[in-house]
Amino acid sequence: MSRVSVFWARARRLFFVSAPVYALGIGALAAVAAAPYPLLGKEAPDFALHALVGSNVRLSEHLGDVVVVSFWGSRCGPCGTQLNALNSSLSTYASVGLKVFGVSVDDDQTRALEYAKGQSVSFPLLLDPAKSVSRLYVVDNLPMTVLIDRGGVVRHVHRDYSAKDDALYLKELRALLNE
Amino acid sequence: MPCDASFTRRLRARVLAMAIVAFGLVGGASLAFAQGATPSAAPDTVQAAPATGNAPALLAGGSEAAPAASAGTLASVDGATTEPPADTRGLDEEIQNLKKDVVDLNKDLFVLEEELLFPANTQVAIFVSMDVGEFFAIDNVTLKIDQKEVANYLYTPREAEALLKGGVHRLYLGNLKVGEHELVAFFTGKGPNDRDYKRGATIKFEKGIGAKYLELKINDRQRKQQPEFEIKDWE
Repeated sequence: MSRVSVFWARARRLFFVSAPVYALGIGALAAVAAAPYPLLGKEAPDFALHALVGSNVRLSEHLGDVVVVSFWGSRCGPCGTQLNALNSSLSTYASVGLKVFGVSVDDDQTRALEYAKGQSVSFPLLLDPAKSVSRLYVVDNLPMTVLIDRGGVVRHVHRDYSAKDDALYLKELRALLNE
Repeated sequence: MPCDASFTRRLRARVLAMAIVAFGLVGGASLAFAQGATPSAAPDTVQAAPATGNAPALLAGGSEAAPAASAGTLASVDGATTEPPADTRGLDEEIQNLKKDVVDLNKDLFVLEEELLFPANTQVAIFVSMDVGEFFAIDNVTLKIDQKEVANYLYTPREAEALLKGGVHRLYLGNLKVGEHELVAFFTGKGPNDRDYKRGATIKFEKGIGAKYLELKINDRQRKQQPEFEIKDWE
């Protein structure tokens, strides 16, 4: 048997052995992506956090408002775009009871501060150095956005962001504000 | 003949591999479907959410919109099946009575829960109060009992304002055995001239039979132009 045919035979064997593993891996990843958010339809866990600028924020003090909690990180690319989009929604709907809070998940507070300085947003950017709130809200991807209704119930969650999602965000926000 | 045999072997191996790949994909997809199938129940949950959301307002009985909303919901439900009743006054009264009963029941359950979880003979409660607050703006209080952190509370401006208006905040409620204990409280906030300020206060207290109440008092000391932190034992 020539060297070439030996090589191809090995390559084929390797493919046949590894293909099922990859297939199962892809299936498992799809399962994780499709996993339902555990807090959906449940009462939003309360938290109190320091703000980068301004006073401390407690979620339960905003019962009666529609609250958007956006988890961001300084290393996350689309986070800045999303924070700006949320800021524009806030400027439109603040008068009808919309509140937006950005929660940093950065370990390095200095980095978070530098990143926050680069953002021109009018809502409080909060620090969660102990990651207690991130754990409470099961943050598994950045940016992650949680929409809480006027009764304090988690109604929608978005575990990713692209500019295409803006229309969906606005639709959901309007529906919550109209309730 | 040997050529045929090798061809058959190769064909069999290929078929086997394809079957394994297909099995893997089908397995993964079915797992994803099984997990993804759950959100189909989510709209029900989401639909039901506003009713749950109204619960605190109903319990508090403070919202004007709540009875109207509940009456509206009932009317719409009735409208779907029968015609709306001519006189809804009786129904409103019934709803109000029901709300009152729920509030009473909630109060009784709360008292019962406290009595069970924190019996009077082991109960320890720590309160925070503030007087004047000219030289100190409270931000955070950390509480340690016997060198173990038991509470860490972050105050929002609204809560700080409530304290300044004479409110007393129950910071901690727990159980302690009879004997001597040490309590250390750390106060963080803004001191005179808007400077970051952190101070501590310590007390050693004797826990006897019966509940123990301690108060963390923040006062202004005019002579020194500084805040003063003391722990008062309610005998």
